[in-house]
Amino acid sequence: MTKRSSTLSRTVRALPTLLRVGVAETVAYRAEFIVWILTTTQPLIMMSLWTSVAHGGSFKGYDADAFIAYYLATLLVRQLTGNWVAWQMMEEIRMGTMAMRLLRPIHPFVTYMASHLAALPFRSIIAAPLVVILLITSASGGITHDAVQLSVLPLAIAMAWLITFAILFAIGALAFFLTQTTAISTLYFGLFSLFSGYLLPLDLLPAPIAKVAAVLPFRFTLAMPVELITHTLPHAQLAHLLAAQAAWTAGLVAFAVWIWNAGVRRFEAVGT
Amino acid sequence: MRKYLRLVAIQLRISVASAMAYRANFLIEGVMAAAWLGLTLLPLIVLYGARTEVNGWDLPSALVVMAYFTGLRAVLEGVISPSLVDLVERIRNGSFDYVLLKPVDAQAMVSASRYEPWKAFDLVGAIALLVYAFHRRGVAPSAAEIALGAGLFVVGALAMYALWIVCAAASFWVGRLDNLMYLLGAIFDTGRWPVMVLPGAWRFIFTFVIPIAVMTTFPAMALLGTLDGTAALATIAGTCALLVVSRWVWRAAIRNYTSASS
Amino acid sequence: MIVANQLKKHFKVHKRPPGFGAAVKSLFHRTYETVKAVDGVSFSIERGERVGFLGPNGAGKTTTLKVLAGLLHPTSGEATVEGFVPFQRAPELLSKITLVMGQKSQLIWDLPPAETYEMNRAIFDVPRAQFDATLKELTELLELGDLVDKPTRQLSLGERMKCELCAALLHRPTTLFLDEPTIGLDVAMQVAIRDFVRSYNQRHDATVLLTSHYMDDVVALCPRIIVIDRGTLIHDGDLRGLVKQMDPDKRVSFTVATTGQAEDDALARLGTVLAKDGKRITLRVPERELPGVVGELLGKLAVSDLAIEDPPLEDILRKMFGKART
Repeated sequence: MTKRSSTLSRTVRALPTLLRVGVAETVAYRAEFIVWILTTTQPLIMMSLWTSVAHGGSFKGYDADAFIAYYLATLLVRQLTGNWVAWQMMEEIRMGTMAMRLLRPIHPFVTYMASHLAALPFRSIIAAPLVVILLITSASGGITHDAVQLSVLPLAIAMAWLITFAILFAIGALAFFLTQTTAISTLYFGLFSLFSGYLLPLDLLPAPIAKVAAVLPFRFTLAMPVELITHTLPHAQLAHLLAAQAAWTAGLVAFAVWIWNAGVRRFEAVGT
Repeated sequence: MRKYLRLVAIQLRISVASAMAYRANFLIEGVMAAAWLGLTLLPLIVLYGARTEVNGWDLPSALVVMAYFTGLRAVLEGVISPSLVDLVERIRNGSFDYVLLKPVDAQAMVSASRYEPWKAFDLVGAIALLVYAFHRRGVAPSAAEIALGAGLFVVGALAMYALWIVCAAASFWVGRLDNLMYLLGAIFDTGRWPVMVLPGAWRFIFTFVIPIAVMTTFPAMALLGTLDGTAALATIAGTCALLVVSRWVWRAAIRNYTSASS
Repeated sequence: MIVANQLKKHFKVHKRPPGFGAAVKSLFHRTYETVKAVDGVSFSIERGERVGFLGPNGAGKTTTLKVLAGLLHPTSGEATVEGFVPFQRAPELLSKITLVMGQKSQLIWDLPPAETYEMNRAIFDVPRAQFDATLKELTELLELGDLVDKPTRQLSLGERMKCELCAALLHRPTTLFLDEPTIGLDVAMQVAIRDFVRSYNQRHDATVLLTSHYMDDVVALCPRIIVIDRGTLIHDGDLRGLVKQMDPDKRVSFTVATTGQAEDDALARLGTVLAKDGKRITLRVPERELPGVVGELLGKLAVSDLAIEDPPLEDILRKMFGKART
């Protein structure tokens, strides 16, 4: 018990430094950082497309304002939850620097998390206020005013972040087992675009696909927080959604750590 | 000239050999190509499930644009992106110096240094899409339309290449820029829609500023027989201008690199 | 024929102090300072010479080499290599020179070196027959065996370096720029590479410019040494001359039969005692006094295992750089 708690306290004590260094890393490459902000432009394109379509009449229950609200909310949530830890892990394994990370006494789940959390303030500073302003001015009809709902929104976004991170962390850990992991990353992004509501609102999807989307965790990374922004839900349903999201979060984090540990065992046995 | 062709041949041989080394790739890449095509077609299917035409574009003509998009994407991810990744890596680990030490034009050498041969599947998908679109339309394109359509595909690919060179040159100035290919992909994504379907401001930007839509919409229109001569000529002239500008930017980047790296 | 005339290369470097506040500030505003890597270096090297560049880290050796190879254009001053201005990168010049950087590799990482060789053959347009002959010669000299068919990432550092050298010489360049080619290698490999470079130089009358941290590389390989410190040329001449100029005294080491006060007094009269390890003593003796001292040592003091050496190069250089700093 004492060994585990000393590891924990060591981790906690190291966090401020980890975060600070993560900030320095992010700032070190200004241009790259701006590029990252820009790459999540698909919602804007989709938004233009569908608002143009909806000008000829509302499309399956969505009018132009509803589409604008939806995609701006998507952009906001995506900016706050997107990360590239899978790619980073694959690079480190490929370049051989993963071994260094394994030597540190803090679990890599935490060190990676810290460096990606550290990037959040910057991405938020630039992206979020802009989107929030746009949301309020152009689509005030499309946003909920329920105070309770808005107060749990940060929690939902935090859990969405953690689910995204856990899934990508698990995918990154697959690099311990497979040599060609780019296909899996691409596959993940495809699944994510489809089932999280990033590409299209989930209720616009053809029925069979929408049914599958309802049982996968992806909707909790995007569609559910977006729903909390754009729709007003009965509190019972709200609680139900949060509980489901929490369950997925806990399960996926455990799964990610488990895959990681298995991967490290294999890595240490095989070498590369 | 023959020297460059020989280099391309060697690099292609190496890439194909590497690709063939993993037989599982064949299946994976085929499935990926089909899945990706399905995913991109989905919004179209949803859209035209409830509407018959949008801003003058019906489903078959939208599919033709999608086919051009898929074809260009195959070129982007089959040649341009892999080479870009290689270049950025070389700049990062310093071995780009060796490129400058060779008696070949650096731009030529980095432009076609790596290939992803499996992206040929996407080309197959593009052609299949074209065939289906014209089947639905009921009218086949004339020989002149096919010629113009094919020619503008090449022009579109060259324009895309020019944009890539400008991005690659940017990576010299700002150091590490690994996500450059994501940026290119994100911008390029807009080409899957006929540019007329987008609202005014976007239409302008994607026709004149970053002519992505021009690379897919105009060639599609050529094939569909709705492109007028001036637009075709403007596309070709614009691409030539882009290539000249990109060459100039590349050379500026090299000049900067050779004065700043230690 | 390599000529450098008042060569200068200054860099603008972005300064970033540590700390959170500074990190945020650097997002918006950056400060630069000028680093004078090369600050007025002049020399001239004839065809077939082997020249070593010595100097502490950051002295400007690698930068000078890169300017000569055309990778950097100088801030001011001129350089010509075989009649060409390097940074114009004329294909004719590039076909005659080669640069090997010990810290960076030109071999394709995931593939066998043989593939890189094929690429280089196409790039340099080497006729097949000549290429095969050169490859055979280099494979023998470097003892490559079947290394060239293994993926580069599977080779050890020494094996990789040998394959690097082969890749760099396939087009039979007549000017070789070698930047720390033996870094990180074990002693046996260092010796092998030195021998190889010497024999290549002799066979093909190739000019060799070498930078290295290892004194032994330079001493063994280069009759002429150019010493650079903080961007300026401190010395240009042969090794013997450098040693004589900086420290004309010899080091005499020997083993005494007995130790004691009398012996200590005797030794103190003969020269300065530099080291005393039990019965093993090292004396510092001016060269002109050498015959007398040696005579006394062997005769009166009956020492054994007598050795006379020049002062170690490290000491010379330490003294040189110490001198330049005052």
